[in-house]
Amino acid sequence: MTAFLQALASGLALGAIYGLIALGFNITYATTKTFNFGQGAFLVPGSLVGVSLLLLAAGKPHFGNLTQAEMTMTAYVLATVASVVVVGAIGVALYYCAIKPFVGAGGLNWVLSTIGFGIIMQNTALAIWGPASIAVPSPLGSDVWRIAGAGIRPQEVLIAVVAVAVMVGLDIVLRKTRFGKALRAVAFNPQAAAIVGINVETIVILAFVISSALAGLAGILIAPITTASVFIGLGVALKAFSAAIVGGLTSPRGCMLGGFLLGVVEALVGLWRAEMREITIFLLIIIVLVVRPSGLMGARSVEKI
Amino acid sequence: MPALGHAIGVAALAAALALVPYLSLNDFYLQILFTIGVNYLAAAGLNVLVGYAGQKSLGHAGLFAVGAYTAAIANIEWGINPWLSLVLACIFGAIFGLVIAMPSVRVSGPSLAMVTIGFGIVVEKIVTEWTDIFKGQAGFYGISPPSLGGVSFTNLHWVWFVGALCIATHLMLRSLLAGRYGRAFLAVQMAEPAAQSVGISVVRAKTLAFVISAVTCALAGAVVAQQNQYFNSDFITFNLSILLLVVVIFGGSGSLYGPVFGAVILTLLDAWLARWPALQHFTYGALLLFSLYLMPNGIAGAVSSLAGRWRRTAPALPEVAGHSVLSARAAPAGGEILVVNDLYKAYGGIVPVRNVSFAIGAGKVHALIGPNGAGKTTLLNLLSGHVAPDGGSIRFEGRETVGLPAHSVAGLGIARTFQNLKLFGELSALDNVLLGAHLHIETGLAASLLGLPASRRTEAKARADALALLTDLGLGERADEPAKSLPYGLQRRLEIARALASQPKLLLLDEPAAGLNPQETHELGEVIRRIQQAGVTVLLIEHHMDLVMGISQHVLVLDYGALIAEGRPEAIRRDPKVVTAYLGTEEDEAA
Amino acid sequence: MTTLISRRMLGALLVSTGMALSLPAFAQNEIKIGYNADQSASGAAELGLSGLYGFQAAIEDLNAQGGVLGRKIVGVVRDDAGAPPKSIQNMNELIDNEKVAAVVGPTNSGNALAWLHIPQQKKVPVVSHVATATDITARYAKEPQNYIFRVSMVDREQLALLAAYAVKASKTKNVAIIADTTGYGQAATKDLQEILALHGIKPVGIEKFGPKDTDMTSQLAKLKAAGADMIITGSLADATAQVLKSMEKMDYYPGLLSTWGSINTPLINIAGPKLAEKTIFAASTTEDASDRAAALHKRLMAKHPNMPAFVSAAQGYDAVMLIAAAIKQAGGTEGPKVQQALENLGAVQGIIKKYEKPFSKEQHEALGVADFHLAQWKDGRVVKLDDAVVKGLTAADLKR
Repeated sequence: MTAFLQALASGLALGAIYGLIALGFNITYATTKTFNFGQGAFLVPGSLVGVSLLLLAAGKPHFGNLTQAEMTMTAYVLATVASVVVVGAIGVALYYCAIKPFVGAGGLNWVLSTIGFGIIMQNTALAIWGPASIAVPSPLGSDVWRIAGAGIRPQEVLIAVVAVAVMVGLDIVLRKTRFGKALRAVAFNPQAAAIVGINVETIVILAFVISSALAGLAGILIAPITTASVFIGLGVALKAFSAAIVGGLTSPRGCMLGGFLLGVVEALVGLWRAEMREITIFLLIIIVLVVRPSGLMGARSVEKI
Repeated sequence: MPALGHAIGVAALAAALALVPYLSLNDFYLQILFTIGVNYLAAAGLNVLVGYAGQKSLGHAGLFAVGAYTAAIANIEWGINPWLSLVLACIFGAIFGLVIAMPSVRVSGPSLAMVTIGFGIVVEKIVTEWTDIFKGQAGFYGISPPSLGGVSFTNLHWVWFVGALCIATHLMLRSLLAGRYGRAFLAVQMAEPAAQSVGISVVRAKTLAFVISAVTCALAGAVVAQQNQYFNSDFITFNLSILLLVVVIFGGSGSLYGPVFGAVILTLLDAWLARWPALQHFTYGALLLFSLYLMPNGIAGAVSSLAGRWRRTAPALPEVAGHSVLSARAAPAGGEILVVNDLYKAYGGIVPVRNVSFAIGAGKVHALIGPNGAGKTTLLNLLSGHVAPDGGSIRFEGRETVGLPAHSVAGLGIARTFQNLKLFGELSALDNVLLGAHLHIETGLAASLLGLPASRRTEAKARADALALLTDLGLGERADEPAKSLPYGLQRRLEIARALASQPKLLLLDEPAAGLNPQETHELGEVIRRIQQAGVTVLLIEHHMDLVMGISQHVLVLDYGALIAEGRPEAIRRDPKVVTAYLGTEEDEAA
Repeated sequence: MTTLISRRMLGALLVSTGMALSLPAFAQNEIKIGYNADQSASGAAELGLSGLYGFQAAIEDLNAQGGVLGRKIVGVVRDDAGAPPKSIQNMNELIDNEKVAAVVGPTNSGNALAWLHIPQQKKVPVVSHVATATDITARYAKEPQNYIFRVSMVDREQLALLAAYAVKASKTKNVAIIADTTGYGQAATKDLQEILALHGIKPVGIEKFGPKDTDMTSQLAKLKAAGADMIITGSLADATAQVLKSMEKMDYYPGLLSTWGSINTPLINIAGPKLAEKTIFAASTTEDASDRAAALHKRLMAKHPNMPAFVSAAQGYDAVMLIAAAIKQAGGTEGPKVQQALENLGAVQGIIKKYEKPFSKEQHEALGVADFHLAQWKDGRVVKLDDAVVKGLTAADLKR
């Protein structure tokens, strides 16, 4: 029973990370029917930029290691802001280089261009930080909280809380605010949105900034768990993409649900046979998509003849 | 000329291959030539899937693995001769192509990407984890290469062998893609409903494309395993799937020569960049990021637009005499060709077709009229099989069509046009008509792949017939122009031509006069009359009352999903229910 | 369309012959040594990159002394990005085009296994400085001349030591294995099963995890349920640290034995100083093991301040030194002669140790069980483990 609870707790913690990144796919897909296939590479500066600033502030080289004492909550929040701002700004570059030339053109060119952008960014990071991982202490300490025998780290709880908060925030922003309405208008019909005076390009750029900023946020949030490194992104981003698709790329709640679902299934299958985790997950995804091609909570699109 | 030039090109390639030994290339260069060949093989099939059938796959590393592991296991574990192992690898590739096609043909867009990624990862994990059978990273050592006359393949032999495989693959795909299969793939990519309306099974076309790509990919994998005599799970990665896709898209997807460019340039670039280890990743990144911006259709696209003359080939004169479908004169048949009984369709609370029953007499022109939003197009979609009804029956020549997919309904002899034109825009007018004749060009897959004389004759005859039909409809001069570049009126007429090419017994026209000027509308009436004279029953939806009253013998009136009147045109004109329906619906929303 | 095909062939030929012509002129007064390893693409890249720094430092030192046989040593570096096809291509290029006298590399065992036959057939000695899979040096052991050598930990040797300790220390003889899914982890699992079988022990559990996983609680829960009191890991430092963190989550602390990776600082950085003390590992050299090691460490850190794995750098350095000594002894760079010289080397001073006849016909491992010891982190430093169990270990316990 403890093992089951532990798996559930670990799975939810993992799923929150997937869900958080999946939200980044949701917002740009909703506006442009494209998203950043190289999102994994965006976690890299997310984890490294903020941490390096703290390191420099502590008088250490940018690739050193922080001590627990140097990682106060204030420092962590500042690092998070720095990561979110920097990676969000990279999102603008992403839009102009990799999305704008291809958006609306159909085809797969944007997939390759965003992958290309990601490769360049990851290797820039490799040149700056090298291949080694940087251990990052959690601002909440390294103690383990125990709930009915199952251990969970405060950082994992923090991630889950932030992820759900971001999801709820996005949901509200999309449905209640002017920006949200403009965003949905652009998603529905860009030409019509332009006619009623919405600056379509600004909206789309904002969507990419938010998406990238979310990747930056995810990067610094998971750093205390995974370490900050050039190689943290790829595996996680692929799972996050899977979460978005299986939950429903068009729905923030679906993305979050997909994330939790994937995390929990992964941990539970681990109780049975760890090596079967990926195989089970991806077979499951294929089956779900055959039954519901637009994901569990995605809007079904009907082609008009 | 193109055929001759192509033959010279292939001969030149073969001659160049024969000259390889005299270049005294060392094993490094031979390996590069081999890699070019392997990349071409894998990409050539993938191009059929991605560029022609429009199905993007991000999981073909899985199929590469199928071929490589079949070759390895067949040879090492089962002791099967290397030549036979290669054949087995293709067979297993085809089987796994079917397996991946089954879920893939049901989804599209990002979900399709996900399904294919998932397939690739599942295969990667299986060969990595299931070490009892696939040996994981330790791998298979000592895979025998094929031998000829007792001599095992050297690197030079491998270059020859792969070169020969590439030429054979190219010739087969060229023959296949030039004929009805190639057109069917493109039709599926451009407009699925229209493809179904000419009798193409979308599922079958996509599945075939998956299988073709799987076979060449598996063959590439098998050849790599045999040439290297060793294979392990490290070869199979998501990056390999991306690489294969990049070869296709960078080279130019949808062009027969795209994979050639992609394979040659990317392989050479990779080998050349190896001297600057720090630069190679940046170069790949920049290549992916910017090359498609500069060349949206890949290198092949850029090359062919630079040398536009290759595209503007003069209209090929038919080698045989053509025969227009319209030139047939058939006596009007009697009896009822179509009987609709209690047909019902609802979308949530909206009921566009409400228990409709009617019958259509053979050989006549019938008109279906009604205010906007009356459910006319939905009714047409039900008749053509594009939408499944919730209840009721449709009997065509005594046969129930409810439950049949649209392409099967087309196969029975019901053709249609679309209110919002659904031409295959990038294809020539002639190809559009040839697609209409899809079901009547009876060429088998094998015959088409091998370009057998019988298949060429069939194709030539179909081409001549199609041209005759186009000429008959006044489109002969523009047969080689892309459909989307024709003026609107001609596009409407082309759609009718495409539908006619399927030699239908019943032709459904959805607002054929929409957007036409008076002169064009008049000509349309003449065309419909000729269609009737050719023995084809016509059912048209039309708002243009002059046209309706002028050409139809029987009018059906639909309002709010219900049939409110039917009869001869002059009777309908005076029917008070019809008058009310029209006058009282001015404020109705458009459908 | 038609001219395209002939054009592309012409193009291919032109480019490839162009490449052949543009080959760097083969300089008689140079000796080239190739380096082919992942420096950029996988988690193991840090080992490949550190190894490269050592490789380059050794060449600098040799050239500062006037080279070998009066000829300058030139390093030719290729990055295989961890992909077998690329690694194979690099190997062909190094041997056929660059005409290197020997190759140092690779990082990933799977890549080595994919091209071993090339240097073996072309008679070019290879010294593996990172990859640890037992098969690498064993595949051609029965050939008249085996061209594959190694200056690195050999999985089997260190695992024999770990297994011996685990068996002695376990009260219940419930020993379990947990390893990552990479070739490294899986080869270790296979070796461990065989070694434990020699001890008459069948592991009570064998678990796997992904190399980038951060939560192994599910797998550990199964081992806990199976009653394991000694667990041996096959993973790099990062993952071993995550195993420790998962143990902390579960409050389950069996004896954890890990491989040499745990000597690297990521372990203590990720797990924290307290948790890091809970694993016992096989260790070879550290930067403060000798004056030479300290000097090299200082020199490399000055140039590459973020060098992550000093051990790999030391092994890369020593690999070059052994090759250079063999070339000197052979009086030339012909592969078969250098191979013979490697098998009959005298004393060679390296960073890890002074090698005394490191290789022979039967022995292609420069480092053996005698070169490492069991160690533990204590107060942020690696200290030699010297408990009652270690004292009780005899040569007979080192079954392999």
